[in-house]
Amino acid sequence: MSDQKLQSHTVQTTGHAWDGDLQEYNNPLPTWWVYTFYATVVFALIYWTIYPSWPFGKGWIGGLSDVTYVNSEGVTRTHSWNTRALYLADQNEAVAAQKPYFDKVDSMSYQQIANDPEMNGFILSAGKALFADNCAPCHQAGGQGVVGFFPNLTDDDWLYGGSFEKIHETLVQGRRGYMPAFSEVLAADQIDALANYVASQAGLANDAAKARAGDALFHSETAACFYCHGVDAKGRKEIGAPNLTDKVWLWANVPAAEGDESKVVAIRNVIASGLNKGVMPAWAGRLSPEQIKVLTVYVHELGGGL
Amino acid sequence: MAASMSYSGVEQYNFDIVKKFSVMALVWAVIGMFAGVYIASELAWPFLNFDSPYFSFGRFRPVHTTSVIFGFGGSALFATSYYVVQRTCQTRLISDGMASFTFWGWMAVIVLADFSYVLGYTQSREYAEMEWPIDILIEVVWVTYLILFVGTIMRRKQPHIYVANWFYLAFILATALLHTFNNLAMPVDLFSMKSYSLFAGTQDAMTQWWYGHNAVGFFLTAAFLGMMYYFVPKQAGRPIYSYRLSIVHFWALGFMYMWVGAHHLHWTALPDWTSSLAAAFSILLLMPSWGGMINGIMTLSGAWDKLRTDPVMRFMIVALSFYGMSTFEGPMMSLKEVNALSHYTDWTVGHVHSGALGWVAMISFGSLYHMMPKLWDTKIYSNKLVEVHFWLATIGIVLYIVAMWISGITQGLMWRAFDEFGNLQYSFAESVAAMMPFYAMRAIGGMFFLTGAVLMTYNMFMTIRQGKREAAALEAKLAAKLAHA
Repeated sequence: MSDQKLQSHTVQTTGHAWDGDLQEYNNPLPTWWVYTFYATVVFALIYWTIYPSWPFGKGWIGGLSDVTYVNSEGVTRTHSWNTRALYLADQNEAVAAQKPYFDKVDSMSYQQIANDPEMNGFILSAGKALFADNCAPCHQAGGQGVVGFFPNLTDDDWLYGGSFEKIHETLVQGRRGYMPAFSEVLAADQIDALANYVASQAGLANDAAKARAGDALFHSETAACFYCHGVDAKGRKEIGAPNLTDKVWLWANVPAAEGDESKVVAIRNVIASGLNKGVMPAWAGRLSPEQIKVLTVYVHELGGGL
Repeated sequence: MAASMSYSGVEQYNFDIVKKFSVMALVWAVIGMFAGVYIASELAWPFLNFDSPYFSFGRFRPVHTTSVIFGFGGSALFATSYYVVQRTCQTRLISDGMASFTFWGWMAVIVLADFSYVLGYTQSREYAEMEWPIDILIEVVWVTYLILFVGTIMRRKQPHIYVANWFYLAFILATALLHTFNNLAMPVDLFSMKSYSLFAGTQDAMTQWWYGHNAVGFFLTAAFLGMMYYFVPKQAGRPIYSYRLSIVHFWALGFMYMWVGAHHLHWTALPDWTSSLAAAFSILLLMPSWGGMINGIMTLSGAWDKLRTDPVMRFMIVALSFYGMSTFEGPMMSLKEVNALSHYTDWTVGHVHSGALGWVAMISFGSLYHMMPKLWDTKIYSNKLVEVHFWLATIGIVLYIVAMWISGITQGLMWRAFDEFGNLQYSFAESVAAMMPFYAMRAIGGMFFLTGAVLMTYNMFMTIRQGKREAAALEAKLAAKLAHA
């Protein structure tokens, strides 16, 4: 029925037939299709007028639109549209928005910055971006670190000190944590004794007899642990030797160890093999002094101050 | 009458090769889509890496793309092109040996490629990851295919070449050209899998994306239009809407596509004028693309009721609709200003899949559903399962694309967001965290689509079994009759 109605309207087929019943009508091109195609041609021509387009001679047609930007020497230039100029113009905008704040960072003391609510907003914003780009790969997005690898920056325990000046020093110079491997100079039972002593200092379950032997070794010239970790085992910040009594663990993965016995094993492993991987790169030269200053205040605030 | 025709057809045409490629199309569909679901799940639930390089996203991703594009898509194209060229030229393929070589050669290519990726061998060229020894095998197989196809057309018993064959031939020729030039490379050593491209820097990128986009244009578009031009009018039982439109859009498509590859390299080291040319030609490509959609959909005018009654027809029409949608979306994304937002985001991934799942896979499913029962001289085992497959696939695509639209635009906006202090508002890791629900949704969409493909494979397996049983019963009957006489 509908078929019959359609037949009276439609044009002829081309007269060919393939594979039995395959045929083609010879309908004209749909008018809207043709005109929309013309419209896309007009669009293309306009597009090529606006943006750089066809190669011509030794160069190319630059296009009518242009971009104004300030280059690194502070000179304002206008260039026909191109991605590089557009990028610089975008950068100019961001830098212009940041400039008043960075100028203030430069002239204010750490404490002044920390006490100024408006500057604090800037530190949170700029510090977060800088931290995410440069620090987060090791110290993690929130600064929480990774036990066994990278220090936690959100607690109040600082290997090298948590004052503005010390954090700044760490950022500028970088750090290198090192502890010798004692399996070279001590016997296994001596290392076990030391591990039990350290566990006792941190309030972990331990073998009291071994801990007593460890105490003697710790303070003896044989092991000489007290050279770096101090007579009271509370560490020495000037050389980054950690406090062993505060229950905060970085290298020995004590939190992950299940049961008291394996906690002592985790400590023993560090004493036996030492460590030579605590490297933090120096950021001077990679980041500008203002950026390092922003990061100093940001990291200081992560740890809730000193 | 119909039975006797197809019986003589077995003599007249080489259907054995079509059968082999059809079955392998389904096998590769299941393997490739499973790999896709797996890597999509890895992005949502990273423990699935199992800390093993062999399962990592970087190695599995080309396994997915190669298995679906060249394994599933390629096998479906070999199968349908051999079927269509024989039936519309009314002649047998010129050589059974060459046909068989293309089958075993092509299967070897996919298997070798997939294993080499898992072992870490790659040229790092998207959709052309195969290293040089596999590239040479592809070259030999492809030239054989070209000779076989052209030779068969030259021996045709029909004065005119049917439109589907123009599209298949354009696909074979362009793919040969693209594959050859994009894979020009110098092996490190005759016994090494590693090679270095002859091009460097921006030229290398430009060559890769000239290849990459024309792989989309000629492999994933022109060839499947060839499929459409045969199977849509056949399934609808109606003539193609417009011969004139088919000529105009064929040549326009072929001409325009070659220019647009550079739109994959907006905002890079590529010269700005080159990317403007590509952007504008992408817009010019819109109507030539739609020509194919119009011709397909209008062919059904006067038989719209088939959409209600025929699930196979529904696959084809939905395929054409997705084709229209993604060829509209593509040119929009090629404009520099839109691309500044969409580039490097999941929006691109969603766009590719609206074309790959919506158009390429759906038209292939429809065509295979039409062709496979005919090859084994029977009816589809279960129309109900075709119906279920249709809805699983459609829901899967919609879940996939919507998830990628949202996550892509979210990524684009987060990456470029500045706060009032002129600082970037989000870190990259924050944008990754924001993707989680959409990655899960995408993986679930993929599971729907994969389940549909598994159902189809089962349905076609049962169809083939049924066809073989019927043939055996018929033969037994004939033998009994002859014995009585």
